[in-house]
Amino acid sequence: MKLSRRNFLAWAGLSAVGAVACEGFGIRHGEFDLQSPASLPEDLVRGKDNWYATLCRTCPSCEGIVVRVMEGRAKKVQGNPSYPTNMGTHSARCEAGLQALYHPDRVSGPMRRSSYRGSGQFEPIDWATGLNEFRAGLQGRSENILVVTEPLRGHLGMVVQKFAGAMGGRHLAFEPMDTVTLRMALKNVFGQDTLPDFDIGNANFLLSFGSDLLSTWVAPNRWNMAYGEFRQGEGRDKRGSFFHVDSRFSMTAANADQWVPVSPGREGYLALSLAYVILSEGLQAPGVDVGRLTGGQGAASLEAFRPDEIAGLIGLPDHLNGHTPVEVIEDLARRFAAAENRPSLAIGGGSAGAHSNGLFNLEAIYALNYLVGSVGVTGGIRFNPESPLPDVPASSGGGSLADWATVASQLRNGQTRMLLLHNADPVHGLPGAMDFHDAMDQDDLFIVSFSPFLDDSSVMADLILPDRIYLEDWGSDLPEPGPGFQTIGIQQPVVNPLSDLDPRSFGDVLLTIASEMGRGDALPWDRFEDLLRDSSRQLFEMNRGSIQAATANEFWNRMLAQGGWWDESATGPGSVAPPDGLLRDIVAKSSQPRFPGLGTSGNVFHLAPFSHHTLMEGQTAHLPWLQATPDPVTTVTWETWVEMSDYDGARLGVREGDIVQVNSAVRGSIEAPVFLTPANPPGIIAMPFGQGREFGSDTATGRPDNVSPNLMSIVEPSQVDDTGALAWASTTVTVAPTGRSVRISKFEGAYRAIEIGTTPAEQIIHTIVPEKG
Amino acid sequence: MRLDAKMMTLGLVGLTVVVVVGFVLVVLLISWFSNPPFGLGNAPPQPVAFPHTVHAGPVEEGNMGIQCEFCHRNVTKGEAATVPSVEQCLFCHGTVEGQTSAARTEISKFRPVAGADGITPPVMPINWERVHRMPDHVRFVHEAHIRFFTDPSPELMRTGINGEGINGPLSVQETCSICHGDVADMEVVKPKQGQSLKMGTCLDCHRENNVATDCTICHK
Amino acid sequence: MVTNRTPHKWGMVIDLDRCTGCQACVVSCQSENNVPINTKDLFQQRRAYEWIRIERYWEGEFPDVKARFIPILCQHCENAPCEPVCPVFATYHNDEGLNVQIYNRCIGTRYCANNCPYQVRFFNYWEPQWPERLRNQLNPDVTVRSRGIMERCSFCVQRIRRAELTVERQERATLDYETMKKRNFLPACVQACPTNALNFGDQKDPTGPVYEYFKDLNEHEEEERKTRGYRLLEEMATKPNVIYLKKVDQFPVSNGGGHG
Repeated sequence: MKLSRRNFLAWAGLSAVGAVACEGFGIRHGEFDLQSPASLPEDLVRGKDNWYATLCRTCPSCEGIVVRVMEGRAKKVQGNPSYPTNMGTHSARCEAGLQALYHPDRVSGPMRRSSYRGSGQFEPIDWATGLNEFRAGLQGRSENILVVTEPLRGHLGMVVQKFAGAMGGRHLAFEPMDTVTLRMALKNVFGQDTLPDFDIGNANFLLSFGSDLLSTWVAPNRWNMAYGEFRQGEGRDKRGSFFHVDSRFSMTAANADQWVPVSPGREGYLALSLAYVILSEGLQAPGVDVGRLTGGQGAASLEAFRPDEIAGLIGLPDHLNGHTPVEVIEDLARRFAAAENRPSLAIGGGSAGAHSNGLFNLEAIYALNYLVGSVGVTGGIRFNPESPLPDVPASSGGGSLADWATVASQLRNGQTRMLLLHNADPVHGLPGAMDFHDAMDQDDLFIVSFSPFLDDSSVMADLILPDRIYLEDWGSDLPEPGPGFQTIGIQQPVVNPLSDLDPRSFGDVLLTIASEMGRGDALPWDRFEDLLRDSSRQLFEMNRGSIQAATANEFWNRMLAQGGWWDESATGPGSVAPPDGLLRDIVAKSSQPRFPGLGTSGNVFHLAPFSHHTLMEGQTAHLPWLQATPDPVTTVTWETWVEMSDYDGARLGVREGDIVQVNSAVRGSIEAPVFLTPANPPGIIAMPFGQGREFGSDTATGRPDNVSPNLMSIVEPSQVDDTGALAWASTTVTVAPTGRSVRISKFEGAYRAIEIGTTPAEQIIHTIVPEKG
Repeated sequence: MRLDAKMMTLGLVGLTVVVVVGFVLVVLLISWFSNPPFGLGNAPPQPVAFPHTVHAGPVEEGNMGIQCEFCHRNVTKGEAATVPSVEQCLFCHGTVEGQTSAARTEISKFRPVAGADGITPPVMPINWERVHRMPDHVRFVHEAHIRFFTDPSPELMRTGINGEGINGPLSVQETCSICHGDVADMEVVKPKQGQSLKMGTCLDCHRENNVATDCTICHK
Repeated sequence: MVTNRTPHKWGMVIDLDRCTGCQACVVSCQSENNVPINTKDLFQQRRAYEWIRIERYWEGEFPDVKARFIPILCQHCENAPCEPVCPVFATYHNDEGLNVQIYNRCIGTRYCANNCPYQVRFFNYWEPQWPERLRNQLNPDVTVRSRGIMERCSFCVQRIRRAELTVERQERATLDYETMKKRNFLPACVQACPTNALNFGDQKDPTGPVYEYFKDLNEHEEEERKTRGYRLLEEMATKPNVIYLKKVDQFPVSNGGGHG
C-alpha cells in the first residue's frame, strides 16, 4: 500500500498508540472551548465585525478613525472617511493605539506609593480608597494645586480647566517641543488665536522653513494628504513645486524638489532677503499694499537684507545645484513670487522657531505670504472659526520653558503643594539641566497621576488613578488646525476594558470629585458622557451643519455614527489686513541666534534635535509598532542615533555604529551610535528625541543608555526671546569617539542603498507638467 | 555458542532499532495529534447535557421542532454559526422548568435562582466542549453554503457532500444535515458518523457543484 | 453565487511622486496581517518582517543630494520566480492575479525567498511571540504563521474575499472602487496611505483607478507609454501586477551624484 500523506493520517488514526499519545500529551487546555456568553448586547452580532467611529488621541493632531471591533476586541484602526481633517487616511501612530489598549504594561488599577518617592514601588488599592486619598489631598491643599496634562482641546480641556479653577489651582499643558513661538508669531502676523489651515493641496508653490511638516510638525497626516494633491492631484494643470529650507536633511527635505540648507537660526534672514528681492523687483502680487507692510519705506526698509549682503551669513553652500548663494536667493524669490506659481505658500516652524531669534524667524517667514497675496485665499493660509460651543476650547497650547521654570521653582519652594499629572512626562521631556525630577521630589508635595502607563514623571506619584485608554472612553475634539470650518469630533468607547484591568475615566473622576467636594457648580454633570450629550443638544438646537435630525436623540446617534459634527458654511475670517508696518517691525526685531555653549574647543557641532517620526518626543515610546517603524531617512529603529555627514565621519574617523560621546559643554553628555549620511550638512549633527525613559514599559526603557539615551538631557535650556519658549535648536556640542561600536538596529541592508545600474528601482522623469493618463 | 552470541547481539540491535523506531513513531504521532487540524473524535461530555432531540426534533413526535438558525443565529448571516448566549436559553427556560428531574437538574445548571437573601446571582457563561473545529488557517462561511443549497432557482444543479444528487432547493435544516448529520436526532451531539470532513471532501463537493476551488477561497 | 463567477484581476499602482515615505502603510499592514512584532534583535539580524516596506535610496552628496522613497511589497508577478521552485506547491498563482501562499502546505525550504528578486518573502525562524494581552488585537481573518513557514504580502486577500462575499454574493451589487474604499475592503496599506500614493483595484474595471495604467503598460512598449508607469526590474520579465509611476524630479542632481 502506498503511504501517502492522507492515508498515513488514517493509519495514525487507527493506532492505539496515537490515542494514548493524544490523551497523554493532549492539546492545550481551553483551546477547544466554545463559550455561550451570559448575554449579548443589542448591537453586537457574534461572529461579525463592527466598525465604530471615534477619535485617535495618540498624537496631538487627533484624527477621526473607525475601529473594527469583533467579539468585544478592537482589531484594526482605519481613518474615518467622513471626518473633515483626514478623510479616511491615518498615520502610523494612529494604528498603534491598539497596542496601547492591549499593552502588557498598562497600569491595571489604582495604586499607592509603598516606598520612597520615585522608587517605582506601588501597592494596589481599591478605587474607594484611591478616591478618598485624592479627596483628602485636595481638601488640605486646595489653593496650591497644579494640573499638568497633555495639550487638551474639546470637552476634556474644558473640564480640566474648570476643575482646576473650582479647586483654586491652575492648569498647564505640557508639550516638549512647544508651539508657543509658532502661536505668538501667527498672532503677531495674522492676529489669530487658533492655528490657521495651510491649504497646501491647492497651492502651486510651497516654501517651508524648518518645519518637518510631512513627518511630525503640527498635523503631519493633513499635510501628507495635501502633499499628494499638491503633486499629482486630479484636475491640477500643474504639479506643485516645493522648496524646503532647513539646517538638517529631514524627511520633508527629502521630499522637496530642492532642499536649501542654511545655517541654524538664519531662516528669518533668508525670508527677509526674499522679501527684498520681491519688493525691489516689483514681483509682489497685484493689490498688495507695500506701503502699509513696510511702513511707507518700500524695499529700502529691507536694504540690509540684500542677497549679496547676507548670503555669507545665511550659510548657503558655495554651490547649490550649480548656483551661487546670491543666485539661489534671487531664483527662489522669483519662483516664489512668480504669477504662474500662485497661489504660493510660505510656512515655517520647527527648528526655525527654536532659536533665541525664533520669533523673528517665524514672523519674517509668515509675512512673506502677504507679499504674494496668499492670506485668506484658497491655496494659501485660511483661517479657522471660533469654537461653536462657548467654553469648549478649540486651541491647545502648552506652557513655555519660562512657565516650567516657574513651576519648578514653585514646587521647590512649596508654593505648589499638589500636582496632578495626566499623560504628561515633564521629567523626561524638559531639558535635563532643569532637573524637574528633583523639583518633584519634595516631601510635602502630593502627586496624583492619572496616566495609564508609568513614565519618569508618574513614577514620582503618591497615588496612581489610571485613566482609560481613549478607545474605552468618551471624549471630543476640535481639530487644530481646523479644516477651515467649525468641526467637532466625538470619541466614543468602542470596547470595554479587559476584565483584569480596572481603569476609570479621568473626566468622570474629576466630575465626581468636584461634586462630592461641593465645588461642582461649574461642572454640574455626573458623568462625562452627560456633558457630551448636553453639548450635542446645543448643537442640535443650532440646527445647522452636517447632521439633520428630527430629535436630539437622533442627532446624538447620528453624531456617534458619523464621528462628529461639522458645518462647512461656518468658516473663519475670509481675510485679514496686515498690521501696519509689519515688515518694518520685523526688521527691527532681527537678531542673530545665540548659541550659549559655542566656542569650546574640540570638534564643535551644532546639535539639530528633531521630533522622532513615530515616537515624537517620547509620548508613544511604549508602543512596539512605533519603536519598530524605521525612521524614513536613516531606517534606524529602537535607538537614538547621531546623524552625521560622511565628511565629518571621515574627519573624526568614525563609521556607522561607532558610539560617540556627545558633550554639551555645561549640560553633560550622552553616548549614541553614529549613522553617516551623504546628506547631512557638515558641522551639524542631528539627533531624535523620544528614547531614554528610565521608568515604565520595557518597550520604552529596556535598552542600554549608550544606544537609547534621552537627547533632552543635554539640550540647552535657553529661551526664545519674547516668548520664553524652549530654544531646543540652540545647543552646540562636541563629539568624541569612544572606540566602542555596536551593530546599529536599522532596516536598511548592510550596504548603503544608492541607485545603480541601468534600471534603478526608482525611476525618474524630469517634467513638471503632470501628463494625463 | 558462537552463533548464539551473534543472535544475541543481533537481537539486542533489533530491539534497540524497534525501540528507537517506536519512539520516533510516537513522536511523529504526537505531532500529528497535537495539531489542531485533526478531528476531535466523538461526543465529548458537555457541561450541560443539552438534548438536540427535544429542542429540534420533529413536533409530531412531541418535540419542539425549533429551527437550527433560531439558536445558531449567525449561521445564515456570516462565517461562524455561533452558539447562543445563555440569555437566549433563558428566553424559554426562564419559565420552562423541564419535565423530568434529569432535565430540571440540567436547566438549573445555568438558570440562576434567587438565594435565601433574595438576591439572584448573575447569569454565568457556559463553556461547551467543541465538537467540530476548523483549523486556524481555514475560512468556512456557513452563510455561503446555506445560501447555495437554499437558492430557490430550480435549474441550479446541486450535489451533496458525498456526491449524492439533490433535487431542488433545500431548507436550512436539510442543508445543515449534509455535513452535520441529523442533529435533531442526536441526544448528545457528535460528528456525523462515517462522514469525512477533510480537505479532499471539501474539494470534491466544490468540484461537483462547479464552485471555485482556488486555495484562497478557504485558506487564509 | 461562487459558481460562474468572472474572476477579478487585481492590481496595484504606486505613484512615487506622491509617496513621502511616511510609513503609515507599513504599520497598517502589520496590524491587519498579524505580522510579528519586529524586535530590535530581528532588525540586527536583518530578519525584520515588513510585508510592505519603504526603501530609501540616496542620490548625490551634500548639498546636491536627494533621498528617494519607494514602497516595496510582493509584486504578485504573473511569471513569479518564486512559484516554480516550491517543491510542495505552497505558493502558486491564482486566476485573480494574486500570488498566493498556502501556509499549511509550506515546509520551509526557503527556495522561494532565494529566488525572489524583490526580497519580499519573510521566513519565520522562530515561533512569533506576542505578550498575552496583545493577542487580543490579532486579526481573526488571518492565520498566525508558525515557525518554519514563509510569509508575504497577500494583497489582503481576506479583505478581498470579504468584499466579494458581502457585496457581490450577499448584496448582489457591483464591487467597484468606491465601495471598496468606503467599506474598508481595500488592502490595509492602500486604505491608510495619506497621500493616495497607493491605489488598488480591478485591472478590468474601466472606472477603477488602476485600469488606464495597466492598459498602457500591457499595450505599449517602454518607449511608447503615455503614462509614467513602469514595472520593477522589468527586464526580468516577471510581469508584476504592481505598477510604479515614475517620480517627477524638477531639479536633477547636477553632478550626477558621483556614482557610476
